[in-house]
Amino acid sequence: MGLSTPVRQVGRLLVGASRETGGAARLLVQIGKRLVPPQMDRSELRRCLLRMGYKSLSIIVATAFVVGVILVIQAFVFVDRYGLRSQLGWGAGFVTVRELGPILFALMFSGRVGAYTAAELGTMQVTDQVDGLRCLAIDPISYLVVPRFVAMIVALVCLTVIGNAVALVSASVMGQILMEVDQHTFWSSLTAMLTPWDFFTSVFKSAFFGAIIAVTSCYYGLATTGGAPGVGRAVNRSVVASAAAIFVVDYFSTFVLG
Amino acid sequence: MIGLVNVTCTFDGEKALDELGMHVPKGALFGLVGPGGCGKSTLCKVVCGLVRPDSGVVVVAGVDLTKADRKALQALQSRCGVQFQNDALFEHMTALDNVSYPLRRLTDLPPVDIEDRARTRLAMVGLAGFEDRPPNRLSGGQRRRVALARACVTDPEILICGDPTAGLDPVTSRRILDMIAGIRYESKNTVILTSSDVLGLMSVADRVALMWEGRVIHEGTPPTFWRAELPEVRRFLDDARLPFGGAPWD
Ligand SMILES: Nc1ncnc2c1ncn2[C@@H]1O[C@H](COP(=O)(O)OP(=O)(O)OP(=O)(O)O)[C@@H](O)[C@H]1O
Ligand SMILES: [Mg+2]
Repeated sequence: MGLSTPVRQVGRLLVGASRETGGAARLLVQIGKRLVPPQMDRSELRRCLLRMGYKSLSIIVATAFVVGVILVIQAFVFVDRYGLRSQLGWGAGFVTVRELGPILFALMFSGRVGAYTAAELGTMQVTDQVDGLRCLAIDPISYLVVPRFVAMIVALVCLTVIGNAVALVSASVMGQILMEVDQHTFWSSLTAMLTPWDFFTSVFKSAFFGAIIAVTSCYYGLATTGGAPGVGRAVNRSVVASAAAIFVVDYFSTFVLG
Repeated sequence: MIGLVNVTCTFDGEKALDELGMHVPKGALFGLVGPGGCGKSTLCKVVCGLVRPDSGVVVVAGVDLTKADRKALQALQSRCGVQFQNDALFEHMTALDNVSYPLRRLTDLPPVDIEDRARTRLAMVGLAGFEDRPPNRLSGGQRRRVALARACVTDPEILICGDPTAGLDPVTSRRILDMIAGIRYESKNTVILTSSDVLGLMSVADRVALMWEGRVIHEGTPPTFWRAELPEVRRFLDDARLPFGGAPWD
């Protein structure tokens, strides 16, 4: 008889997910052990920061610009009907800074940097480069994983701060063009209603998302087996798992952070 | 120098090494041959502590690898040079950086000497003029030679070569084997060498072991290996289309 196929599939999915969560958690513990006191390769950290942060700037700025524009276009109907022009800055700021900014930038970052990292570490794993490092008495976690972990958190936080700013500027410009909300009204409603806590939420979330992307991409990268197709699978799993984890964490942090 | 007793190693329930026993004396050039998939690469990884066997004892240079902690393992690994079957070159470095990297990590030599030595080693493997190429702009054989130069640049006490001649033309292949023999002769260090160029291997090794389905089933000097009556040895030499009966040096 046995279980029906869909039930079995769900079961298999859950077992796989919990095993992988366990593996990623173990990696996180190993990272933690090497962070106090910090043991990592400085030059690798510098290279990662440059590649992950600076070189992602253009894609984040472009995303942020579009986010600001779309936000205003979508809000137009309501703002117009209820005469909320004076509150546009607050609305745009609240949505962008607290929710939309961190999550969209994290997803873009995961697609670009997380996927790249999983592929890079996966390739190093299947071509024995990771073993090669170990043979030179280099700990792959301090050398490869810890710098990427730190760099991704720092880079994503900075990118989110910049992205939020760009999104707000583009929203304010769009508001002026579309709804004739002048700059002063926009920014004064934004600064009057948003608290430092809202900005802190943004930073906190993006740091968390950066850590999630780093741990999942490094975990799947280092767990790669089976040659080039294995690298493809690792990238695929890493992107899916980080997106899922980002949504789950976002859901809970929205409750916790109020 | 290197001793393995009853070493078993499984991957996904499949035995890659099956109660393997082996002894490599200090200073030997130890050749490892066997059909594909018999566990040669796995054995090399066990010897340098990259794969922990499920059971058995592995003693390398007086250190029991099955009991060693991370520190002890790293200390031992810094005395080993390993050339992997698929090169394992660091793709973000040039050929010269790849070769000089072990020196930078494991020795206190001044940078000038490091570069000098790395250049000399690259020239030894016939790659003078390729110093600034990244690995992805080298041919398969050239990559292999860079990997070999990197493995032996520190003159490690134990040099492990996982098929340094695969994919090389016969002339380069012999030159590489001669070079390994030369390094061994000068440094008096221990070398484990696997090669698909069985004839070439026989001409440089002082001991040869045949691996078969995860075990070492015969071990001896090249002439005794050549004349061994064991059916697997005969079958291996036969399947490899090597001249039957007399050895080439008879
Ligand atoms: N990472 C791994 N995961 C699963 N199985 C493995 C792994 N590495 C090796 N094996 C299995 O272990 C056995 C021995 O493999 P190994 O790579 O040691 O063979 P080999 O003698 O080096 O072969 P070749 O001459 O083709 O390089 C093979 O049957 C292989 O399928
Ligand atoms: Mg092999």
